[in-house]
Amino acid sequence: MPSTVDGIAFAVLAVALVGGALGMLTTKNIMHAGFWLLEVSVAAAGVYFLLDANYLALVQLLVYAGAVSVLIIFSVMITLRRREDAVRPRDLSWQAGLLALAFAGMMIAAIAAYAWPVAGMPAGAPDLVAFGTRLFAPHGWALPFEIASVVLTAALVGAVWWSRKEDE
Amino acid sequence: MRVGLEAFLILSAVLFSLGLFGAVSKKGAVQVLMSLEVMAVAVNINLVAFSRFLTPLTMDGQFFTIFAMVISAAEIGLGLALVLAIYRRSRQSEVTGLNELKG
Amino acid sequence: MTWIAAIPALPAIAFIALILMPGAVRNRSLWIPVGAIVASAALSIAAFFQTVPGEHGITEAVWRASWVLGTVDGAPLMLGMSLDAVTAVMLLTITLVSACVHVYSLSYMGHDARKGLYFAELSLFTSAMLLLVLADNLLLLFAAWEVMGLCSYLLIGFWFEEDEPRRASQKAFLVTRVGDLGLMFALVAIFKTCGTWDLATVLGSVGEWAPGVTVAIAIGLLLGAMGKSAQVPLHVWLPDAMAGPTPASALIHAATMVAAGVYLVARTLPIFEAAPAVQMATLIIGTVTALVAGLLACVQHDIKKVLAYSTISQLGLMFMALGAGSIVAALFHLVTHAFFKSLLFLGAGSIIHATDTQDMREMGGLRKVMPFTWGFFTIGSLALAGVVPLSGFFSKDEIVLSLQHAGQGWAVALLFVASLLTAFYMTRLYARVFEGPSKIAHAHESGRLMLAPMGLLVFATLVLGWMAPLFARFLGHEAESLPLAVALTSTVIAAAGIGLGWFMFHLRGVDTEVLKARSPLVYAAFARKFYFDAFYDAVFIRPFGVGARGLWAFDRRAIDGVVNGLASLARGTGQRLRRLQTGRLQSYQRLVLSAVVILMACVMIYVAMTGA
Repeated sequence: MPSTVDGIAFAVLAVALVGGALGMLTTKNIMHAGFWLLEVSVAAAGVYFLLDANYLALVQLLVYAGAVSVLIIFSVMITLRRREDAVRPRDLSWQAGLLALAFAGMMIAAIAAYAWPVAGMPAGAPDLVAFGTRLFAPHGWALPFEIASVVLTAALVGAVWWSRKEDE
Repeated sequence: MRVGLEAFLILSAVLFSLGLFGAVSKKGAVQVLMSLEVMAVAVNINLVAFSRFLTPLTMDGQFFTIFAMVISAAEIGLGLALVLAIYRRSRQSEVTGLNELKG
Repeated sequence: MTWIAAIPALPAIAFIALILMPGAVRNRSLWIPVGAIVASAALSIAAFFQTVPGEHGITEAVWRASWVLGTVDGAPLMLGMSLDAVTAVMLLTITLVSACVHVYSLSYMGHDARKGLYFAELSLFTSAMLLLVLADNLLLLFAAWEVMGLCSYLLIGFWFEEDEPRRASQKAFLVTRVGDLGLMFALVAIFKTCGTWDLATVLGSVGEWAPGVTVAIAIGLLLGAMGKSAQVPLHVWLPDAMAGPTPASALIHAATMVAAGVYLVARTLPIFEAAPAVQMATLIIGTVTALVAGLLACVQHDIKKVLAYSTISQLGLMFMALGAGSIVAALFHLVTHAFFKSLLFLGAGSIIHATDTQDMREMGGLRKVMPFTWGFFTIGSLALAGVVPLSGFFSKDEIVLSLQHAGQGWAVALLFVASLLTAFYMTRLYARVFEGPSKIAHAHESGRLMLAPMGLLVFATLVLGWMAPLFARFLGHEAESLPLAVALTSTVIAAAGIGLGWFMFHLRGVDTEVLKARSPLVYAAFARKFYFDAFYDAVFIRPFGVGARGLWAFDRRAIDGVVNGLASLARGTGQRLRRLQTGRLQSYQRLVLSAVVILMACVMIYVAMTGA
C-alpha cells in the first residue's frame, strides 16, 4: 500500500514538476512564468516529503516558494512599465533544444545503464532531532553553517550596493 | 510499484535539461534567472534522492542541499540586483544587449 | 729582404685607404695610389738587382718567406712568396707599366666623377697581379687570380651606367670563369696527388705522377690560362672589354692580366712537358688563336678593337712558344709586348681623347695635329709588326727559333702568316688614323701627363730588343744568336705586310666595303666574328635564359603562391573564427554546452565499447 501511494504521489509530483517547467518555458507572459516557477518549487517540496526529508521540504517552501519566487515576481513588476510589456516573444531556439535533448538523453541512458547498488528505498529515516544534532555538531556541519552565514551577509551587502541610487 | 532511485534521478535529469534549455534560449535576464532556479531545484532533488537511498542514516545529501539552497538564495538576490542595475542603465533587460566582449 | 713583401703590399694598402674614404675625399687623394705604385716600382728595381746576375735560374729562389695564417684540418695555412729570376722580371714589367698607366690616368680620367674609385681599383689590381707572380704556392696564386678577375670586372664595367660596359664586364667574368673551372679542377687534383700546393714541391714531384693525372692537371691549367689569356674559343670577352676606360685596358688587357695565363703555364711548364699531348694542344691553340684574331683585326672599325684582337693574336704567339717548350721566348715576348702594347693603348687613348670617337672612319690626318702621339704610336706599331730594331722584332724571332728547335716547321710558317697579318692591319690602322684628310676640326695634342708615360714606354720598346741575350742568360738559359735567315725572313714578311697595307688602304683607300661587295658570305663571317659569339649565345645563353625565366615564374607562382597562400589561409581562418566572438552570453553558453554534450557522448561511447 505505501508503495502504491508512493507511486501515485511520485507520478503526480513528476507531472507537476515537468509540466511546470514546461509551462514556465513556453509562456509568453513573464508574470505567468514567475508563477510557474512558484508551482515548481512547491512540487519540489512535495518530492522532498516523499523522500522523508521533512525539514528540507519546509525550508524549500519557505525559501524558494516564499522568498525567491516572490522576489522574482516583484522585480518583474518593477521593470514593467505597462501591463502589456509582460508579454514577450517566446525565445526558444531549436539548437538549444537539441542540445538539451541530447544532454537529457545521455543522462537518462547513463542512469538506466548503471547498476545501482540499492533496489528500493531503505528503511531507516532519521528524524528532525537527529538532523538538528548533526547540523550543529562541531564535527559535523557547524563550520559550513557559519560560512553560509558569511556568504549570506556578503550577498546582502552586494545586493544593497548594486541597488543603490546613482550619485546626483 | 516501488519507486526506485532511477526514477528520481531521471526526473531530476529531465528537469535539469528543461532548465538548461531555458537558460540557453531565453533572452530576458529575469527569464534566464528563473531557468537557473529550475536547474538548481533539479540538482537538489538529485542530492536528496541519493542521500535517501545511499546514505539514509548520515543524511549527507540533505545537508548539502541546505547549503545549496543558501547559495541559490544569495545568487538570486544578487542576480536580481544586477538586473535592476542593467535596467536602470539601458531601460531594458535583455542579455543580448550585453555584448561588449564582441570580437 | 722582407721589404720585397712591400711590393704587393703598398698598392694594397693604397686600395684599402682609398676605399675607406668618402668619395669626395678620395678624388683628391690620388697621390696615394700613384705614390704607392711608384714606390713599388722602385722596390721592384731593387729586387731585380738582388736577383742579378741570375745564374740561379728559374728554379732557384733568391728569397723565400712564409707566413702562417692559421690551420686547416691540422695543416698550417701558409702565405708564401718567393723571388726568382722570372718573378723579378715580371715585377719590373708590372710595376713600370702600372706606374705609367697611373700617371697617364691622372690626366685621362681627370674629369671623371668617380676617378678615386678607379684608382683604387687600379691599385687593387696591380697588387693582386704582383702577389700572383710572387706567390710560391698555387693556392695563393689562385686567390690573386680571382681578385684580378674581380678587378677586371670592376674596371671593364666602370661606366656601369651604360649598357655596353655592364654587359661586357659580365661577359668577361663569365667567360674567364669557364677557364677558372679548369684551374680549380687542376688545383684539387694537384692537392690530391701531392698533398700540398707548394710550387717547388709540386714541380719537383711531377715525375712520380700517373700519366693520366698529369694530362688531366695539365688540361685544367691550360683551360685556366686560356680563359684569362683569351685564347680561342675563350677569347670572346676581350674585344667587348674595350668598353672600359682606355688606360685600364692598357694595364689589364694588354700588359698584365692577360699575361697571367702565360705566366701560369710558364711556371708550371714541367707539368706540360710531362704531358706532351697537352703541350702540343697548347701550340695548336696558340696558332689558331694567332690566326683567327689576326684575321678579325683586319676588319675592325673601332681602334681599340683592332688593338684588342691584336693582343689576342700576340698572346697566341706566346702560347705557341710555350707549346714549343721555351719559357725564355714566351716570357721575352710577354715583356716586350707588355711595353709596346700598353704604349699603343695609351696612344689610342690619346687619340680618343682628342677626337672624341673610337671609330677610325671618323678619323684622319692626325699626323700633323698630334705629332708626339703620332711618333710614339708609330714606334709602337712598328714594334708590334716586328720591324728591326725594335723589341717586337727580337721577341718574335725568339719564338720562331724555339719553334724550329722543337721541330714544328708548320707552326713557323703559320707564325709568319700571322706576322704578315699583324703588319697588314696595323698599317691599315695607321693609314686611317694618321694619314689622309683631316676629318676632325678640334683635335689637339695631349698634355704632358699623358705623353710622358708614353715616352717611357717608347724608351723601353727601343731598348729591350737588344737585351734578348741578357734576358736568356738571366733566366738561366744559353743565349743564342739570331740566324740571319730568320731575321731576313721576318723582316721581309713585315715589309710585305706594311707594303700591302699601304697600297690597299692609303693609296687605294679601300676598306671592308670591298669585301662586302665581292663576297657577302665571307664578309658575313668576318662581321659576325666567325660566329663564336653567335654560337655561345644560341647554345648557352639563350637556354640558360629560358631556364632562368622558368625558375623565376616557378618561384613567383609556386613558392610565393604557397607562402602567400599560407598567409591568406591564416587570415581567412582568423576572419571566420572571429565570428565565434559574438560577445553574446548565449552563444558562449551554447558552445560550452555543445562541448559538454560531445564530451559526455565520447565518454559514454568509450565506456560502452570497453565493456564497463
